[in-house]
Amino acid sequence: MSIEQLKERLFAEGKNVGFTDLELYYEKKESLTIGLYEGEVDKYDFSDVQGASVRGLYNGKTGYAYTEKFDEDSVEFLLKNAVENAELIENEPEELFTEKAEYEEIQFYSPELDTVKPEEMIQFLKQVEEKILSYDPRVKKVTTSQMQNQKFEKGLFHDKGLELKEANNFLLFYVSILVQENDELKSGFTFRITKDFKELDADAIVKEVVEQGLSMLGERNYPNKNYPVVLKNEAAASLLSTFTSSFSAQAVQDNRSRLKGKVGEKIASDIVNLVDNPFLPAGIQSATFDSEGVPTRKLNIVEEGNLQTYFHNLKTAKKDGVDTTGHAHRGSYRGSVEVSPSNFYIEPADQSYEQLYEGLEEGIIITGLAGLHSGADPISGDFSLAADGYYVKNGKIVGPTKQMTVAGNFFEVLQDIEEIGSDLTFSPMSFNGYIGSPTLKIKGLAVTVD
Amino acid sequence: MLNKALIEDVLQAALETGGDFSEVFVEDRYTNHMVLQNSRLEKNLSGRDFGVGIRVFHGLQSVYAYTNDFSRAGLLKAARTAAKAIQGKKDGKTTIIPLLKESVTMLHPIKIMPTEAAKSRKLAVMRNANDIIRNYDPEIVQAIVNLIDEEQNVLIANSEGKFVEDQRVRSRMSMVSIASDGADMQTGFYGPGAYQGFEFIENLDLNHYAKESARIAKTMLHADPAPSGKFPVIIDNEFGGVIFHEACGHSLEASSVAKNASVFANKIGEKVASDLVTYIDDGTLENEWGSLNIDDEGEKSRKNVLIEDGILKGYMIDKLNGRRMGMESTGSSRRQSYRFAPTSRMTNTYIAPGKSTPEEIIADTEFGIYAKYMGGGSVNPGTGDFNFAINEAYLVKNGKIEKPLRGATLIGNGAKTILDIDRVGNNLGHGAGMCGASSGSLPVNVGQPMVRVSEITVGGKEA
Repeated sequence: MSIEQLKERLFAEGKNVGFTDLELYYEKKESLTIGLYEGEVDKYDFSDVQGASVRGLYNGKTGYAYTEKFDEDSVEFLLKNAVENAELIENEPEELFTEKAEYEEIQFYSPELDTVKPEEMIQFLKQVEEKILSYDPRVKKVTTSQMQNQKFEKGLFHDKGLELKEANNFLLFYVSILVQENDELKSGFTFRITKDFKELDADAIVKEVVEQGLSMLGERNYPNKNYPVVLKNEAAASLLSTFTSSFSAQAVQDNRSRLKGKVGEKIASDIVNLVDNPFLPAGIQSATFDSEGVPTRKLNIVEEGNLQTYFHNLKTAKKDGVDTTGHAHRGSYRGSVEVSPSNFYIEPADQSYEQLYEGLEEGIIITGLAGLHSGADPISGDFSLAADGYYVKNGKIVGPTKQMTVAGNFFEVLQDIEEIGSDLTFSPMSFNGYIGSPTLKIKGLAVTVD
Repeated sequence: MLNKALIEDVLQAALETGGDFSEVFVEDRYTNHMVLQNSRLEKNLSGRDFGVGIRVFHGLQSVYAYTNDFSRAGLLKAARTAAKAIQGKKDGKTTIIPLLKESVTMLHPIKIMPTEAAKSRKLAVMRNANDIIRNYDPEIVQAIVNLIDEEQNVLIANSEGKFVEDQRVRSRMSMVSIASDGADMQTGFYGPGAYQGFEFIENLDLNHYAKESARIAKTMLHADPAPSGKFPVIIDNEFGGVIFHEACGHSLEASSVAKNASVFANKIGEKVASDLVTYIDDGTLENEWGSLNIDDEGEKSRKNVLIEDGILKGYMIDKLNGRRMGMESTGSSRRQSYRFAPTSRMTNTYIAPGKSTPEEIIADTEFGIYAKYMGGGSVNPGTGDFNFAINEAYLVKNGKIEKPLRGATLIGNGAKTILDIDRVGNNLGHGAGMCGASSGSLPVNVGQPMVRVSEITVGGKEA
């Protein structure tokens, strides 16, 4: 049974069982993932999957249900479950967006990626692996080397007539390596997300990942204390992504955010601007409508350190008496409508990475953070994390630090940003939104080195 | 779920280009997820996952295709798409062995199927947990109670004639408490789970679990920042085992051993841990969260002794990595769903009990950190470096627990830490968790008695 057939039968039968409003949301995904290990193809996964979810109002309450099985019984299964779920729910009902609205006309789907052949992907992976292994004798092995070509489509139908569809695609490349000198073993990794296969530059990737790994060799101890810190772009992005939920109106209304009551107040240093841009050409979360069908728009969340707004969907907006910001989000058809940013980032300024540490008499550069899902409390903002990085003396990198931890509070970090770099990059690992940051110079953080 | 003749045709189609092994995994799963927050049921979701994964081997080459198009044409298309990627020397077996249905021994009795218990009964238990948490103390400002249950039906068939079906039933309730004094907020967590139906939820000792969740939040609200440095660390039982799960368990999975990417590769028979350590993975423990009847390749789950008295005894092995290593499967092949090719993973992994009592271990510690409840963490698989958060920590001074500490993180190296265990307690306990790796997120138990490690680096706010 196709999505269209499912929709028609669902809307017809849904009325009969007592739904006053009905929505069908669906996702389709196709992907090919190829992994290489020691010159051989080690992973070769195809997928062609879809799923759909119904959301409806039943006796004034909201019911959800989803299925991945599309057959004669699906309509009955969906409606029966949605009714059961609606009967017990104690929330205020969710509103369905049925207005006619204007949407940006942007095509995020890149037809070029459809032409990338599996052989070309394998060839590229082999080329990168060979180049890495011959780059430096201290390279021990390429631990993971993978490329994924993924396309997805999502759509939203209402029984009141709304019909929205949008497709997107991207190519993800990831490589990690081990380098060794004497007994010291260190890892390096890098990734690319692109819409243009030809844009991938094997030599640049190889240089970046190997030099990053090698730069971690020769680790030493340094005194434990509060240091000025240069938080490199990727580390800064991963930190921001851990605390992004604080900007959600849902978290604020649920008493799970320290930004409660802070709209209009200064929450970051004057030089900080935080932007949510759903129209970034290469943004993974780019979209012209949100999960409720509301048109998206570019928005400043923090301007010169002042909090302008939270992220809203229809329900949180109604509760706060404001307009939705178009940030309704569903993790997938399995989940309910939540709140999440699209492509959310600290706006870059003009300093280069080098300029940011050249001024340090003594300090620490943090290149990577680990344990963000466990060592950080997204509510209080407190974090204590394992970190990789370098010790800096008189404006020069002296060398890598031994096992390091860094502790602080995210909301204090926002206030303590002294300078901002020009090198905006995005964190590939975040679940809520596509989160980015340039390198940041922070006044001070508690650092322990071994 | 699918008929035998169709599966045979799919297995055969997958071998058309010279593959030497093909496998079909069919999954039909019903999931139910409820969230009580702000003292009301805020989320009430349910649905059905359904799909088919087809795997083809050619020597050490493996191809995987998955779809939820279960029509004959759709399945044959997926099988042939997979076969096409086998870089076809036609040297493999080309005919499959006719399927013969195997029966499964049910190791984990289920009393009340999740679909048979009305949601209102589930909600009643959640409300009890909510009330216990909220009534614990005026500083508790929020309780979030999650209930997840599922029924996963699987069918596994392969070109060697295997045809087996199984049903897995799991239930879990997690309780998050948030304490606040107006400015600061701290959380407490407890999340027991089991390979059981609604009887597990109904019989949960909420006076223990819900109250502990609230007590942790309240205690941490009034805790001092943890010091930084190297200290002896006492890690209590149950979820405390997460450190050794991450730092040693993953390195004992064939997925890293076969590729020589593990510190434990080629070390069977050698001393790899403190003499006090016996480390076991056992999927047969009755009704435990990480248990199985059969793994996701259809092999019987079993008890695998990995380390005995400090000596490495064995690994957890799946079929493909077994080929690489020249070793047999240990019933350890798992996957989150049909969307993942399976690989070697843990089930219920634990350090076997020793002789010390918890009181003796603490009394015997001059200065150190006591981790009563661990949080999550991660490990760099290449180097074995790990980091973990402690959810509830205390300072131990002169053999006595002195005061609670917050914000403590443990960092170290797995292979070294397991050698540095100098006390093993007699209070073995298991804790439920979700483990993420290449074949997805899986229910696993981590477990141990109280152990003491002679030295771990603690990162806290007090530099």
